[in-house]
Amino acid sequence: MLDLSAVATLTGVTKRLGGKPVLNRLDLAIRAGEVTALIGPNGAGKSTSVGLLTGRLTPDAGEARLFGLDPQRPAARRRMGVMLQSAGLPDVMTVRELVTLQSGYYVDPRPVSETLDLAGLTELAERRCGGLSGGQARRVQYALAICGQPDLLVLDEPTAAMDRASARTLWATVREMADRGASVLLTSHDLAEADALADRVLLMDRGRVVADDTPAAIRARAGGAVIRCRTRLAPAWASVLPGIREAGTDGADLRVVVADAAPAARMLLEADPALTGLRIADATLEDAIAQLLAAEERIAA
Amino acid sequence: MTSVAIPSGVWRRECLAEIRRSWRLPQFLVPTVLTPAAFYALFTLALNKSPSPTAAAMTLAGYGVFAATGPALFGFGAGVAMEREQGLIELKRVSPMPAGAYVAAKLAAAIMTTAMAVALIDMLSLVAGVRMPLANWAALTTLHLLSALPFALIGFGLGMRLGGKAAVAAANALYLGSAVLGGLWIPPEALPGWMRMAGELVPSFHLAQLARAIVGAPTVGSSATHAAIVAMMTVAAGVWAWAGWRRSPA
Repeated sequence: MLDLSAVATLTGVTKRLGGKPVLNRLDLAIRAGEVTALIGPNGAGKSTSVGLLTGRLTPDAGEARLFGLDPQRPAARRRMGVMLQSAGLPDVMTVRELVTLQSGYYVDPRPVSETLDLAGLTELAERRCGGLSGGQARRVQYALAICGQPDLLVLDEPTAAMDRASARTLWATVREMADRGASVLLTSHDLAEADALADRVLLMDRGRVVADDTPAAIRARAGGAVIRCRTRLAPAWASVLPGIREAGTDGADLRVVVADAAPAARMLLEADPALTGLRIADATLEDAIAQLLAAEERIAA
Repeated sequence: MTSVAIPSGVWRRECLAEIRRSWRLPQFLVPTVLTPAAFYALFTLALNKSPSPTAAAMTLAGYGVFAATGPALFGFGAGVAMEREQGLIELKRVSPMPAGAYVAAKLAAAIMTTAMAVALIDMLSLVAGVRMPLANWAALTTLHLLSALPFALIGFGLGMRLGGKAAVAAANALYLGSAVLGGLWIPPEALPGWMRMAGELVPSFHLAQLARAIVGAPTVGSSATHAAIVAMMTVAAGVWAWAGWRRSPA
């Protein structure tokens, strides 16, 4: 796979960790100027892929490339900013000292005051990292990732442990950097986050990429509608609905995912005239992903 | 095309940041600086009542090496292992910081701590009447500061391979072991034969012999041989440390 617009690639990469195969001949490319979300269940190989692209891990077979170079080369890393979940902060350094030190690793860093401002840290600048809350520490990690004005920004679960307002601010700055031409690789458990930010979703499962498309296309591929209602009908009964994809309960409600809302809703209303609280919504990215993964499960079984 | 230029001053800033961090951790700094001086004062000066300046100079040679092993083994061995557990090394490794700057910064902090510990012992030895030409003081101080290097690399290799608790235990064992076997506390000629033989395997023995030559105390073997052995041990420790850095996933 030769993709000239790619800023980071894994080509035919196999990686075993602790004797277990995690990735098997994986091909993956992060294209320039795009926000790419890497999503999938735990153990799918997301963190390992990020580890290989950032040079923390080396492939057993195949090749990892960052800006055409070995990701372990400082020349390649100087164009990348990384926010890891597993990284810590030195307790006795202040936020400003740490951001200043990190900025010094880059050739053309952002002014420190601007970085602090973008990450919402201006007020915390003189505090020592050891005294920060979890969410504040995540913002420092974010500041360290963006301080070098990198061409590629790698964000591993960026908004985990962040409050909603901080997360929204982060989304806005990420979007802005992408609009100015930076590439972003993002892993997330929060599919709303992926839907809001990403130009492209790479869905991973068991060490392979099982879907690679825009969030809208992935939603459309799974397609359909989600119907919720209060009814005496059981989820098992709902399997008779035309175009049924999924049936279950959501609190006291029946929740079904179907290809086409109208015929299914009509059948539900006929079967239970006492039905109340009927709501119909487009399937979310989360619904679509759940269906794609369920399909994978059936193929694997 | 990618700029390959390293921003100027990265190494210097990393060293300054690390030294500042050490200053802010008095719970580590104070014991490593005071322990060698306390031992020197107790065993050489107090227990011998009024030791001859010759005896005080001879023990100064060994205690200066001892002063260097502490910051090196604990700062690197235990410190690196703990930083690894806290994800601090991971933070550095995905950044464009040159790997050498990390090691140089840690070494600068260890040498700064060593310098403070050595200065204390030197002052005590002056009180005890040790007198040498300035050139000998300079040579002795340089040797004592450089003694940190092989132990720092051994500590680094340990820190990259062991967890925090295991690394502290290993650093303690090496700290005490290299002091006893190297003849830093008790002169090697007073040790049992097998310990004297085992001493040949630790860098501190050869460093102490070099230091004794500088202060004019009796030595075994030639200084050239000791210097060559220390150099080989340092290179071997460096290769071992580098392999640990390369191999460790985080």
